[in-house]
Amino acid sequence: MSAKIDPITRSVVQHRLSSVVAEMGEAMLRTSYSQILNSSRDFSAAICDTHGRLIAQADHIPVHVGALPWATLAVEKRFKDVRPGDVILLNDPYHGGSHLPDLTAFVPIFHGEQRLYWTIVRAHQSDIGGATYGGYNPTATEIWQEGLRIPPIKLYEAGHLRDDLLDMLALNVRNARDFRGDLAAMVGSARLGERRLARLFAEFGVATVAVAIESMLDAAEQQTRAVVSTWKDGVFYGEALLDDDGRGRNDIRIVAKVTKYGSDIEVDLSESDPQTTSFVNSSHANTQAAVAMAFAYLIDADIPKNSGALRPLRVVTKPGTIVHAEDGMPVTLCTSHPSNEIVEAVVKALAASCPDRAMAGWGRRFRIAIQGENPRTGRKFIWHMFQARPGGGASPCGDGWSSIGEWHTVGGIKFGSIEVDEVRFPLHFRHHEFRADSGGDGQFRGGLGVSLDLVIETEKPATANTAGDGARHGPCGLFGGKDGAPHYYRLVSPGRPPRVLRTKEVGIEILPGDCLEIRSSGGGGWGPPAKRSPEARTRDRVQGLVTDTQAVEREQ
Amino acid sequence: MRLTIGIDVGGTFTDLVAVDQAGWTVFAKSLSTPADQSIGVMAGLDELARRLKLTRAEMLARTERLIHGTTVATNALLERKGAKVALLTTQGHRDVIEMREGLKSNRYDLRSPPPEPLIPRELRFGIRERLRPDGSVLTPLDNDSLTRAIAAIRAAGVTSVAVCYLHAYRNPAHEIATVERLTRELPGVYVSRSSDVLPQIKEYERVSTTIVNAYVGPAVRLYLGNLEQRLMEAGFKGSLFIILSHGGIAPVEEAARLAAGTVLSGPAGGISGSRRCAELLGVPDLIPFDMGGTSTDISLIAGGRASLSVDGGLVADQRIALRSLDIVSIAAGGGSIARVDAGGILHVGPESAGAVPGPACYGNGGTSPTVTDANVVLGYLDAAAFMGGRRPLNRTAAETAVDGVAASLGLSRVEAAAGIYRLVNLKMADGIRLMTLRRGVDPRKFTLLSFGGAAGLHVVEVARELEIKRIIVPTAASVLSAWGMLTSDLRYEVSQTYFGASPGIVADEVRDLFGKLEQKATSRLRAWFDGPISVERSAEMRYGAQVYEIDVPLDDINWQSSSLADEIENRFHDRHEELYTYALRGQEIVFVNARVAAVGVVPKSDQGRRLAFAETACVPVTTRRAFFGEWREVPVYALDALAPGHVLDGPAIIEAETTTVVIHSGDRLAVNDLGWLDIQVR
Repeated sequence: MSAKIDPITRSVVQHRLSSVVAEMGEAMLRTSYSQILNSSRDFSAAICDTHGRLIAQADHIPVHVGALPWATLAVEKRFKDVRPGDVILLNDPYHGGSHLPDLTAFVPIFHGEQRLYWTIVRAHQSDIGGATYGGYNPTATEIWQEGLRIPPIKLYEAGHLRDDLLDMLALNVRNARDFRGDLAAMVGSARLGERRLARLFAEFGVATVAVAIESMLDAAEQQTRAVVSTWKDGVFYGEALLDDDGRGRNDIRIVAKVTKYGSDIEVDLSESDPQTTSFVNSSHANTQAAVAMAFAYLIDADIPKNSGALRPLRVVTKPGTIVHAEDGMPVTLCTSHPSNEIVEAVVKALAASCPDRAMAGWGRRFRIAIQGENPRTGRKFIWHMFQARPGGGASPCGDGWSSIGEWHTVGGIKFGSIEVDEVRFPLHFRHHEFRADSGGDGQFRGGLGVSLDLVIETEKPATANTAGDGARHGPCGLFGGKDGAPHYYRLVSPGRPPRVLRTKEVGIEILPGDCLEIRSSGGGGWGPPAKRSPEARTRDRVQGLVTDTQAVEREQ
Repeated sequence: MRLTIGIDVGGTFTDLVAVDQAGWTVFAKSLSTPADQSIGVMAGLDELARRLKLTRAEMLARTERLIHGTTVATNALLERKGAKVALLTTQGHRDVIEMREGLKSNRYDLRSPPPEPLIPRELRFGIRERLRPDGSVLTPLDNDSLTRAIAAIRAAGVTSVAVCYLHAYRNPAHEIATVERLTRELPGVYVSRSSDVLPQIKEYERVSTTIVNAYVGPAVRLYLGNLEQRLMEAGFKGSLFIILSHGGIAPVEEAARLAAGTVLSGPAGGISGSRRCAELLGVPDLIPFDMGGTSTDISLIAGGRASLSVDGGLVADQRIALRSLDIVSIAAGGGSIARVDAGGILHVGPESAGAVPGPACYGNGGTSPTVTDANVVLGYLDAAAFMGGRRPLNRTAAETAVDGVAASLGLSRVEAAAGIYRLVNLKMADGIRLMTLRRGVDPRKFTLLSFGGAAGLHVVEVARELEIKRIIVPTAASVLSAWGMLTSDLRYEVSQTYFGASPGIVADEVRDLFGKLEQKATSRLRAWFDGPISVERSAEMRYGAQVYEIDVPLDDINWQSSSLADEIENRFHDRHEELYTYALRGQEIVFVNARVAAVGVVPKSDQGRRLAFAETACVPVTTRRAFFGEWREVPVYALDALAPGHVLDGPAIIEAETTTVVIHSGDRLAVNDLGWLDIQVR
């Protein structure tokens, strides 16, 4: 479909667009206020066109990749009167969003009268109102208990800030100062993108840029199809299980039926279990994004993540299932769960089609947040655990990474310094090392999770909340590899019997001197354990990564 | 005649520069000898003496100071050929180095296996001891667990030990006691102690830096010891200094102690040279642009000062949190390989043909099309005259290689070559853009300083891409690093994490902390140097909720002021505003680390001799067919024949033995009174 363009101009425009989104992302990292953005980097910067096609995106959070086109379409549907200087916001998962904490800002890009593109910044807010701090509310039964819902709205109209609207938004979140600061950073970063695009238009002319973009999308499609066409054709099934919904419903199934023919792939998730009454449901856009994320992991890492690369992929869902919740259902956990399980089901299905590319399962997210009073300062504190990262899955290329993260973060979250945490919080990290025997056995072993013994040194009782999954089902092994060990968290309290923590709890009482024994999951193993080389086994033993040698021998 | 000599050992060549007190400068080059760099250094000294018409012994006897940039530590790290190291650390925390804070760089590559840490887990020993965050002892150092670890270390044949305990930046007693036992019981083993190497909070940075130090330390100590020995035997009676990653110089014993501080010793000379160029030119804002065979180094001179790296960064995948010059390395250079992907998109790099086999035109068996091959096809490089004719290039091989890319793109040979040329320029421009904008600097207001073998071929196009209007090519462009070393001052840096008795900044505590650091730094420097010493102070600070500290210079502050705390806070707000466009006055500020540098100022020979203007016109030596949007017959000038006052317009090619400068139509080149090229970019 693309008109003729010389390949050099096309390459120049493509590289320039990636540097524009990279620069937007860099500005976000350096100027945002909240830790979830400037440390955990839970944001994305992108350019879409007015048809909702993703043109370029900075590599930040994989689970945002396929989600932004849906958000853009929702904005296009709502507003027919977009003007230069407008800034549009949205977060609602039933209006193109993924879950409420992810707020998205859009700046329209004009050339003269003509509106052509959007620069977009999506950022996870540290709080979005609702019943619990930070948006993760295991007790929510409907979305209104999860936070403030924002359909597409204009924050700026023709360059003028609607400050009454901003006041309303800021009033509904718990940390108005950070919220305002982060929002300013988002808008600033999207406008920086606008400025850079204007220069690109001036240099090449808007028509040439448009042709270059068409050609770029076609090229990414072509590259992807070249990869996919080497995979085996057929209909493949993959399944992954969520532990529970926190309300007594266990083993919730995600079922992926994948039809691969030629260079096309259809992922049909319709046979997945029905939706639940808790926050483990997924919104439609998030499910689309989770499947795109799985697909991105299987094709070549250097293919640009744009809509062209995703053209060979079609995703089918059925409203009312766990992967396509109906309007009003709670969904906050969805970017981690069931995203992790969706990815795993898709990768498992495609493992039969591209065995040399599929990797075993990566960890699940199991959050814990502690609130209490710091006896050294007399002030309240809230601490979120990012330590004890789970292990990554093994692949045909080798063992998995240890202490690296979940399917949806894959090494993108920095857990920071234990010394700094001990200075700032009444916490003692007695032990924080690899968790031996947690990686799934196999020709290539899964990465290890982490053992953390954390002593709480408050003088008054503190409370903890959890949100996550993966305490019953470990990341899957592949081709005979074993599953990684699931998460196992315990509260050990002198004078009280030790108690195993569930993944979806609120109001856990922690007494001074209590110890949280966190054992995070290892990654899945790849290939039959019998094929693991004796040298690798010896090294695992010498390094103390595997101690349970008898179990291995029994398997063989 | 008294001499100062600068020596820069690079991957291929060892560059030497000698300057006498009158500012007379002589250059020499010898081939590097990677197995023992001191052999190439001695050969280079022979060549330098020959050019000075002296014997080596005569030359060395007259040499007061010899300043050396070494890549021994860098190579040990890159090639993973350092010492066999063990780690002693707090029990329960052996894996900090392998966890890497949970980060992984390529997000979409889920198949590449994890990197091997410098110390395998079986050589990381947990020692029973524990400090609280305030430095008090929670668990005393357990001698039995130390005894067991020492026995295991001895049995494993380890030659170097890193010691890093949690919170040792606050109280080094356990580490010191451990090191005492190690030195006593394992004589000859190199020991690196975290509270000595980097007494700062954040265990990943500290342990990683301490380990790198232990890993490269023995090799650096051995090499520098050998070199000093050889020089003394050859008649050298002056002082040997090593240039460190932060751009200052230090004696051999100090470089061997803090060996991790020498990993950027090589490029540091280039930055010192750039800073000196800024002084001589009276142009305070420069972007040094050093393009070589496999990579391009970019740094920043702003207001006449070289910027230091904010967070240390990674070298060879290892975190080294010592203060170092801020250098961004882009994987693009003359050897970068061009390829067309399955989608028909042209890419240049990051793969490089390196020195072996090298670009196709080198005729060493390389067949992949490289940037250098494109330059040959375009007529910018003269195949016959390369390296002064000592190493002619194979033009046919370059054409064949580029034809491959042309065929995949459906373009002509020259169109493909022009595409490769354009893309690599774009890549370098992108690197400069991110390097400058990330630091809040607008590159358009800067002058590009072009040096290194390949820079001249690309610099005008890179500048045009960035809307930079002016480029300088100094005479010493091909040996700028060695030349720059001669202009470096002595420098000793200390830092310490600040712990207030209460939150915020307490003036007396901060005054006291800086006082102690200053005392430590100046007394150490005094032992090497009897000239004037100046002191630089700075603080690493951030807003309460932030994670990135910024370095706030505290020079010219009134330390006796009763409002010292406010003044320091204001400096921080101002600096933050300057860097990131806003300040949050009224918000809580955290003062993390205090830093002090003692600087021993060495006298600079006058290298800025102004030359008389030429009375003759500049005349091209020949013309050549080259591609500037179309094939044109363009004039070729000999760099050596250009003199101050000469002006010429592009398109034109300026050639010297080791470098070529290409200017395009509309660009104007003038030779300034230093004899340097000053290019106005269209």
